Amino acid sequence: MSTATPAASTPEVSSPAAANPPDPSTSDLNATDKLVLDYLRARGHSAAEKLLKESLEASSPPGQTPDPSTSTNTISPEELARRIAVYAQKPTQPGQNALKDSGVVIQELGSMGNPQDIQKLISSIGAVGAEDILSLDPTDKQDGFRELEAWVDGSLDMYKPEFRPILFPIFCHFYLDLIQQGFKEAALRFHEEFSHSLRTRHNQVIHHLSTLLLPSHVQNDELAQRFRNEKYHIRMSRSGFSLLIGWLTEGVGGEGTGSGDGFSGERGKRGRAAVMRVVNNHLKFDVTTSNTTSVSPNAWEESTGVLAPLIPQTGFKDAQSYNVSKGDLKLGPAPLPEELQTEAERELRERALVDRDPNSQYDLQYARQAAPPGVVSPTLSDLPPHPPTFKLVDVKREVEKVRDARKRIRLDPSVLNGVNLNTLQGAAARARALPSICAYTLHDVGEGVSSCTFSQDTSLMAAGFSESYIRIWSLKGEKLRGYRNDFQPNNVKDVASLRKQKEKGGSTTRKLIGHAGPVYAVDFDPIGGSAEPPKYLISASADATARLWSLDTMTNVVAYRGHQNPVWDVQWSPMGIYFATGSRDKTARLWSTDRTSALRIYAGHLSDVDCVRFHPNSLYLATGSSDWTARLWDVQKGSCVRVFIGHQGIVSTLAFSPDGRYLATAGEDLAINLWDLGSGKRIKKMLGHTASIYSLAFSAESSLLVSGGADWTVRCWDVKSAGGLHTKSRENGVNGMTNGVNGTENGTEGAALTNGSSKEQEENIQTVDLVETFPTKRTPVIDVQFTPRNLCLVAGPYLAPEQR
Amino acid sequence: MNKQKTRAPSTQPTGLYKTESIRDVAESLNIPNISDGIASALASDVEYRIHQVVEEAARFMRHARRTTMTTSDIDQALRVLNIEPLYGHYPHNPAIFRRVGSYPQAQSSGAVYFVEDEEIDFDRVIREEKISVPKGVRWTAHWLAVEGVQPLVPENPPAIPKEHDLEAAGVNGVAKPAGSIFPPTPPSSDRPSPIQAVKNRPIQQQQQQQLVKQVLSRELQLYYTRLTTALIPPTDATKRSAALASLRHDAGLQALLPYLVRWVAEGVVGSLRTGSTSDNDGKVLAVLLDVISALLDNSTLFVEPYLHQLLPPILSTLLHSTLPPDHATELRTTASQTLSHLLTQHSTTYPSLSPRIMKTLLLALIGGGKSKGTREGAVRGLMGIGKEAIRKGVVEGGGAKVIGTDCTYGMDDQAQVTLVESVMAALRVLASPSNNPQPLDGTHEEDSATKQRLHEALGDYFADRVASDRQWSLNILQRSQES
Repeated sequence: MSTATPAASTPEVSSPAAANPPDPSTSDLNATDKLVLDYLRARGHSAAEKLLKESLEASSPPGQTPDPSTSTNTISPEELARRIAVYAQKPTQPGQNALKDSGVVIQELGSMGNPQDIQKLISSIGAVGAEDILSLDPTDKQDGFRELEAWVDGSLDMYKPEFRPILFPIFCHFYLDLIQQGFKEAALRFHEEFSHSLRTRHNQVIHHLSTLLLPSHVQNDELAQRFRNEKYHIRMSRSGFSLLIGWLTEGVGGEGTGSGDGFSGERGKRGRAAVMRVVNNHLKFDVTTSNTTSVSPNAWEESTGVLAPLIPQTGFKDAQSYNVSKGDLKLGPAPLPEELQTEAERELRERALVDRDPNSQYDLQYARQAAPPGVVSPTLSDLPPHPPTFKLVDVKREVEKVRDARKRIRLDPSVLNGVNLNTLQGAAARARALPSICAYTLHDVGEGVSSCTFSQDTSLMAAGFSESYIRIWSLKGEKLRGYRNDFQPNNVKDVASLRKQKEKGGSTTRKLIGHAGPVYAVDFDPIGGSAEPPKYLISASADATARLWSLDTMTNVVAYRGHQNPVWDVQWSPMGIYFATGSRDKTARLWSTDRTSALRIYAGHLSDVDCVRFHPNSLYLATGSSDWTARLWDVQKGSCVRVFIGHQGIVSTLAFSPDGRYLATAGEDLAINLWDLGSGKRIKKMLGHTASIYSLAFSAESSLLVSGGADWTVRCWDVKSAGGLHTKSRENGVNGMTNGVNGTENGTEGAALTNGSSKEQEENIQTVDLVETFPTKRTPVIDVQFTPRNLCLVAGPYLAPEQR
Repeated sequence: MNKQKTRAPSTQPTGLYKTESIRDVAESLNIPNISDGIASALASDVEYRIHQVVEEAARFMRHARRTTMTTSDIDQALRVLNIEPLYGHYPHNPAIFRRVGSYPQAQSSGAVYFVEDEEIDFDRVIREEKISVPKGVRWTAHWLAVEGVQPLVPENPPAIPKEHDLEAAGVNGVAKPAGSIFPPTPPSSDRPSPIQAVKNRPIQQQQQQQLVKQVLSRELQLYYTRLTTALIPPTDATKRSAALASLRHDAGLQALLPYLVRWVAEGVVGSLRTGSTSDNDGKVLAVLLDVISALLDNSTLFVEPYLHQLLPPILSTLLHSTLPPDHATELRTTASQTLSHLLTQHSTTYPSLSPRIMKTLLLALIGGGKSKGTREGAVRGLMGIGKEAIRKGVVEGGGAKVIGTDCTYGMDDQAQVTLVESVMAALRVLASPSNNPQPLDGTHEEDSATKQRLHEALGDYFADRVASDRQWSLNILQRSQES
């Protein structure tokens, strides 16, 4: 505390170092003052400048100012005013009343709530205005927050979910205020006292804030600055808002029991004033017309936050209005070129003749994919450019696609509704609803495997390792052979002579070496589809490159450089040729294989782009980011067309439904959100995982979602069901869980927890649409995939117990 | 996630990095007098920077799909923050921090840790330690689920009894797939879940209880003692027959089966070991054989897994050389009947069972140096198995010849009489004698040829005895040539 508080020899200058004043090392008072004055003048804070001048004139150079925490009462009004002036110059809050802010300084001098000192202080500095100083008593934040919490907890049950979100931003601003004013210890005490009730939901942010200890940290920290400079959005019903106003102005409603006598009268008013200040300066209320009870309890909290920077353009109230303004999307399946279509149909008809298959007509129905009603299909010209001619492999792929569609295992989890699974019919329903899952477990992985994928024809599996290499396995047991080093193009006349150019021997696995950092993503090219093994592999790594590997030669062909920072994810576009990467440098980029520089840069996320996925028709790209949002970009225009706000943590993975209408996102808040792409609205939130979710996949009919995560489970979710929590577990969450946690976590926080009665331990709650959970032995599931015929493949490394 | 758990601010409101540490570092850099203010400010800043690095490292940890932060994550984080990484630390060789008791003069500083630097003796390493080259990464595939059901294969975790949350279904009202009660994640204390679900605990206990071996109920234990005491002579016959009847018909004895089988086996061994000439031993053996046959009779018991334990007592009784003389024949006959009973019941499921028993019996029948009792037992055993066994053993295998030779030169005692009787009985089973026997006529050409063949097949001793019945001899010969 002593450092941050303006100390005697180097007053103010050290504390508002944040405000970039002159060199703090100088001990020459006059020089410092002069610089400060210059600064103020340059910034145009004339009022503050004047104040400072006055104070300088009035004051003799203060000699030994005693430690503020022990004897603040000796401070002179001039000194005080000077400090006030310093705060007035904060560049972050221009135009604020200098006096108002100055009070904060006084308050910090007030040695943490010693009212006697304050009384003396007030009596000694009539010049500044007792009212202001009183209202900025250092205890006001503690008191104010306690009072606010008591008011929220004392309010009617129907309003609680509505009011509770207010606590968090006020907590953050109080904490930042205290830190910025240099009250490290007061801030820590404040944090300790009040953070627990908010921890269940806002653990990450609260923890991050707790790492800020000096004013300069607040000044430099991105998150703190976002809090400072942007409005925090709060949603409230009209009646709730008027209740809040009533409390803030009159103090009505919330004389919480046990709040103590200090809460009534002057002190209570001061506390409320402190809350009021944050409300005025940093909060923005969206007063909705909807009825309090008609909004689900969780929705209130989830639509709050520092939203403005997350929305790509200014001028929009919230994400929803932005999404609406971007108009309709073309979410239908991508069209095939007419020639390719006819060729594929001809091929199918021929095959049907050869196989004497009476269902050929049936096949052709699949061949013509129709968009679901209400969904606009793109035209050929909408797609990113592709080669005008098609090859044999394209025909084969399309034919195989139709055959897959016919032979697919149809999964329909809705049949499980209302069926007793213990009966025979239940077992039959289960077989129709749930997939068969084949688990590929990697053993002896050493430092760790960070990515894994299967080719669409399930002939190959690739894994990227922390040790900077990629390993490919042939799942069919065939030998993987590249071409020889002395490859002679002249000798190649036909298939046989080409085969001769392959290496001798070989094994069923190959190691691809080239990256210089952990390989975070691998993806096989989709051109062959399920008809032919892929020819290329793309990988992304911490060495800031994406690399293209030829599976003919088993070598690295191209390194795509451009990202400044580790590349977290890479994915091929559904028709090959293009691929997208997401990186720590906050951008996603679009590349084509034949160019070494990016074609498009998708910038706008406020933090790392953790995952990228293409829409099935390749018109759009979805990105998930560490700024807790997911965005949908128009691939060609490079503009953001949808923003999805609702996760309370980093978005770790994404999946599009094959019908192109939904996006599933999974976050570090252990929830999976399902979004409707057309409207940009969230359909539901799926809860059940108990640790990070690593991978998501939709079944081919988009009816079933499968997720895998660090809790060593694979979970199946019913996409079409309404979701929602179990009524019973919800009650548990409110009453039982808090008590349980009380015992398991630190006993010291007992008091804090008991008064926060409605902090739900959502992590233990499962929504009803979780159809089934399949635990593995000790395998975090890092990849989940459906084959075109709806067999589910999952992969993960086995963690030997001693490793942990 | 880890960092959040480890750094609950409530435990260290004054920060992780202590002012004292700053002072220590300053002293090491030869800056002796550092003011409180500066030290505290530096401490706060150092802490902030540490958090910055840790938060950055957490991203690398997450993307490496791990839940434990390693030194390589820190290295990567330092690299992207444009700081020189700390070389020399590897995740597969983690530094071990040793704790030193706090110093009395600086108690406030708390525990002091240092990195242990182990000395490695190369000689010892080269001599003793075998360095095994680790196998490369490999994969295995298994079915995690087949049509929505998790198969119980070793690769999958053991099934968890499903929690039937009927109450929830009732309250809910929503059409909830009843019985699909979401099985909780497998309970395991070191599971990397950030939140150890409190409600999983009872299930955990439940599972642990399941692992405990099934215990016999008190009632069954009581039944067992009462049964065994009632069976073992001397007891009155009514009790014994009641006990046997109970064994033969009562359901719900499956849990007792292994104990009963063992009791029988031990009883047989005990009776035979003592030399077994007493009358009581004979009775005991008879009862034990009855018990076996009663167990076989009980249709509610699943005896098959215990056949390998039931056969030794039967065969021991059958082939033992010196059974109590009063009961010998009776015992062997009963044992043979029991064996026959067992084979008819179970030889269909175990086709190899009768050949294997045949082998044992043939060895006892033909092998040299076997007592007459054993031989007799073997013959009776073969009778128990069936005609084919008699043909193979007594006629084709030369059992009759061996016994015949034994009898020709042996003493004409009780044992020999019963032995001969048993062989004759076996031959009677093989082919029934005619009602009015006519002896083979030695003068008749055809008859003498028959006699010749009879001598070849059965040996002189028995050929002579059979020869008194013409039709029978022909039948025996016909049977023996049927193969």
